[in-house]
Amino acid sequence: MATPLPVASPKQTRAEALQYIKRHRRGFMVIVFTQTFAALLGLVGPFLLGHLINQIDQGTLTGSGVNRIVALLGLALLGQSIFTYFTRRASYVLGEEVFAELRENFLAKLLDLPLSTVERAGTGDLLARTTSDMEALAYTVRFAVPESLVAIVTLVVTLVAVGVTLPIMLVVCMAGVPLLAIGTRWYLQRAPNSYRSERASYGVLSGTFSETADGARTIDALRLGRRQKRRIADNIAECYKWERRNLFLRCVWFPFVDAGITLPVALSVLAGGYLVFKGHANVGQITAVTLYVQQLGDPLDRLLSWLDELQIGTSSLARLFGVALVDNDRTPSGDQPTSEAITATGVHYAYRADHDVLRDVSVALTPGERLAIVGPSGAGKSTLGRLLAGIDGPRLGRIDVGGTSLTELLLDDLRGHVALVTQEHHLFIGSVRDNLVLARPGASDHELLGALGAVDAKEWVEALPEGLSTEIGTTGHQLSPSQAQQISLARLVLADPHTLVLDEATSLLDPRAARHLERSLSAVVEGRTVVAIAHRLHTAHDADRVAVVEDGRISELGTHAELLQSGGSYAALWRSWRDEADE
Amino acid sequence: MRVLPLDDPGTPDLSSPGRYLRWLGKNQLSTLLGGLVFGIAWMLSQALTPAAIGQGINAIRRHDTGALWMWSGAVLGLGVIMATSGVIRHRFAVTNWMVASFRTIQLLGEHLAMTASPITAEIPTGDVVNTMASDATRIGGAYDVVARFVGAIISYIVVAVIMLRTSVTLGLVVLLGVPLLVTGITPLIKPLQNRQMAVRERAGKLTAVGADTVAGLRILRGIGGEQVFFDRYQQRSQEARKAGVAAATPQATLDTAQVALPAIFILIITWIGARLTLSGEINAGQLVAFYGYAVFLVAPLRTATEFVEKVTRALVGARKVLRVLTINPVVRTVNLVEVANGDQELVDTATGLTIKQGTFIALCGTDPTATATVAERLGAFAAPPATYGGVPLTDLALEEVRRRIVVSETEPRLFTGALRNELNPTETTTELDLADALHVASASDVIEALPGGLDEVVEERGRAFSGGQRQRLVLARALLAAEEVLILIEPTSAVDAHTEMAIASRLKDARIGHTTVVVTTSPLLLDACDQVAFFDGEQLLATGTHRTLLEREDYKSTVLRGED
Repeated sequence: MATPLPVASPKQTRAEALQYIKRHRRGFMVIVFTQTFAALLGLVGPFLLGHLINQIDQGTLTGSGVNRIVALLGLALLGQSIFTYFTRRASYVLGEEVFAELRENFLAKLLDLPLSTVERAGTGDLLARTTSDMEALAYTVRFAVPESLVAIVTLVVTLVAVGVTLPIMLVVCMAGVPLLAIGTRWYLQRAPNSYRSERASYGVLSGTFSETADGARTIDALRLGRRQKRRIADNIAECYKWERRNLFLRCVWFPFVDAGITLPVALSVLAGGYLVFKGHANVGQITAVTLYVQQLGDPLDRLLSWLDELQIGTSSLARLFGVALVDNDRTPSGDQPTSEAITATGVHYAYRADHDVLRDVSVALTPGERLAIVGPSGAGKSTLGRLLAGIDGPRLGRIDVGGTSLTELLLDDLRGHVALVTQEHHLFIGSVRDNLVLARPGASDHELLGALGAVDAKEWVEALPEGLSTEIGTTGHQLSPSQAQQISLARLVLADPHTLVLDEATSLLDPRAARHLERSLSAVVEGRTVVAIAHRLHTAHDADRVAVVEDGRISELGTHAELLQSGGSYAALWRSWRDEADE
Repeated sequence: MRVLPLDDPGTPDLSSPGRYLRWLGKNQLSTLLGGLVFGIAWMLSQALTPAAIGQGINAIRRHDTGALWMWSGAVLGLGVIMATSGVIRHRFAVTNWMVASFRTIQLLGEHLAMTASPITAEIPTGDVVNTMASDATRIGGAYDVVARFVGAIISYIVVAVIMLRTSVTLGLVVLLGVPLLVTGITPLIKPLQNRQMAVRERAGKLTAVGADTVAGLRILRGIGGEQVFFDRYQQRSQEARKAGVAAATPQATLDTAQVALPAIFILIITWIGARLTLSGEINAGQLVAFYGYAVFLVAPLRTATEFVEKVTRALVGARKVLRVLTINPVVRTVNLVEVANGDQELVDTATGLTIKQGTFIALCGTDPTATATVAERLGAFAAPPATYGGVPLTDLALEEVRRRIVVSETEPRLFTGALRNELNPTETTTELDLADALHVASASDVIEALPGGLDEVVEERGRAFSGGQRQRLVLARALLAAEEVLILIEPTSAVDAHTEMAIASRLKDARIGHTTVVVTTSPLLLDACDQVAFFDGEQLLATGTHRTLLEREDYKSTVLRGED
């Protein structure tokens, strides 16, 4: 059922990335500006050294001359340090700010995903985008982008200095370019994919470790230790394979880079010699230029080593931006429901074309009634529940509340009408208050405690170390599953929809706690229309009406007594379940 | 190159973090030595390049064409040596890193797999994964840097000696200056690292909040409150941003110090060198070389600080690794007894409940937690142990107990992998085949609905399945694993009544001849059992069939809850 989420095209990614650069124009400018000065001052050393050598050769060097030159060098190095400080600082700040904006925008898009997409897309893809793509991008934005920029500025400034001193030496600098270009091109065609595979292989290894630790009890009970051991060894082999592959790629690439950097240095000594011999330059100039050329190596090396990181970051960026490309599935018409009655008429629904899982289903809910849906697994009970809760629209037919189609309501309005309660319960990282207030923004502590009271949870929440302010969720205070379920139920009380669709809401609960929770649940359903997808027959027995769903259709619909009389499949099941108890 | 994973990672010295690191080192001595040789060659070729350039400049000054060719050739030659030895050095460094990291990961993995329960009882899952993912790789870092570090020391000594031969003052400046700078920078690093760690932790927490959002997204989108949620995230994000921005200042200071301190060094050497040219003690080419040495020495300086940093981290990592590796498995050594093959009588000594071989019995109680504890005793997961064929389970080898008595707990895990393998991970051969087991567990439809059928891969611990589907799959797995006794704790709590009824009757037929214990309060399942043991808490009240026990009011109210 999982449908993959879209990925932004290179063009979309570029356009979006450009927007970020525009918004942070100032930060980028500061880096370019301060680094230009830092790089310029970094060239003073070779320049002065050339000067010194000319003076030595001319015999004009004096003690005070040396002191003057060294003092100038000292000033230049001091200045370089100061500008370096500002560049570095600006880089870190820029990285933090751009990344904060990225992650916030992403979360906003994530929270805006259409309900049907959230329900249908597996969490795996989304989770990978939220965690690994985000982390890859954090690295790119914090380090790769600013440091590449710094390296580029340094390269340009140094090349300009070479050009200004002896323009012809620029030709010498270019001698390394073919080597660098060939090697780097070869490397970049292969490296990003290979590095991604390497990361993925480490992800698998972590996954195995995590499930081994997590499923310790099952491993013990089923004697799976040896198997997990083998599996970890296989995972290591896979990581090793990719490490080896990447090592190979680097081992081919590095010599090209090293040669590309060294060749111009050697050539500038040689060519410089001939320039001096022919009288086109002096020794000081050649010394300075040779040292400039040597200094090109460091920024060049850095820039090249960030390139693959930048590529990986770009593909992560495309995946993050992709989340924003999901189309909205709701078309608010502006109509307002005229009553609280939900009706389904002639509903068909299919996950795959030509394969209807619901066929011609019609049912009208009477406000305040309790309808139980029973039937074998896979008959379409849950699908019907999702449609009645307005999460998906039917393929054919209509599902309305007070004459307005559920999918034509604004999401915020829909929630005021009907809520789907599933087996899943989740506590978000945050305080108890944070977890509750989601369902009714702006609710007072008094209201929250009231809702907790309704589900029988007020007492233990108040007994928590910090009451409503206690941090819960995966990183906070650990609540028992039934306490977690009670928090979910309290949220429902706060959201206060007139209709609830309970999809096996208590079935995954530990049966040990179920009884207590059923009490909480009955407090929540009080006074609301309830559609209960039931596992337990007593739920059906207690309902006002029972719908039996078999093979995508409602095969029986009526009160418990009516269905028993009609002698259909419900009656057969019921008898086998409790005929003895009736005796 | 070594092939990983190793056939046998060996028996590590666990007496201290330092000894563990030494043990690792001993096991990869040859690659460490290889790295050393090429590390030295690599560093020296860089150290000597300024000398060649200086000579080249001298050749230019003397208008000596032959020398010019020779020395520019030397620059190139040193470049070639640097490139070649660099690649080989890099290969050794990565190998050293990998062997140390993966040997540790392998030790951790093997220990975890075989000792999962005791380890997870003491260390949270997240920490175990972290120990593998970050601490083990930190250990590798120390072996990656060590060869470079030795190369750095040698090249520093060589440069110092060259300078010492020309000028005692210059030589001493280098000889003393470098260690002085290392000790100057190192103390700056520690507090900064702590600060960075705090920033990173904060960012890590934000990632966790992101993952948490995805996990709860359905619920969030169902009940609303996105704006409140987003505001809270934004607030955290901005706090993290501010912390990051605040850390930018000290971080930039450290970066600057790494440029500024060596700059002082460059300045002093240039100054002394220039004065020496005045007195004619050195020539212009040598001055260029000295300037080059001073610039070059920044590299060994960095390597030295990196070495200190990485070794410290490796020691911290080793401590965490040892924490996992020193947790001992449950070993039973006292007088192991053997029990004849085939189902035996199973007795819960605490309550006296006796289960004859081949019985299909239900444990039903007013307090399901207590009833589950009884079942756990029958499978040696809780004390006091039950007896099997008259022998206390603690006198049997644990492996043997687990083979003969299979307990399927309330929330068993599905592991990642193709369903075909995951449903029969131990490849036990019982009378049932996979299709039979799926039929008994009423799980055939789950498989049919999957595009890949049995070859479909279970992901994320089976999250893609509903609770009921997962429960049925796990039941099939338990059926395939059970050679003798099978104990099922609440096996049908998440399946619907239609399905439960089907499972109850099929389970009974499939298990004929073998002991089956089911913990349940469901009448559909209870009715299918030969015998029901009824408990109040852990106290055995009565045994009988479901129908006879229904005459008891307490039993009736337990199994037909919600009815009265």
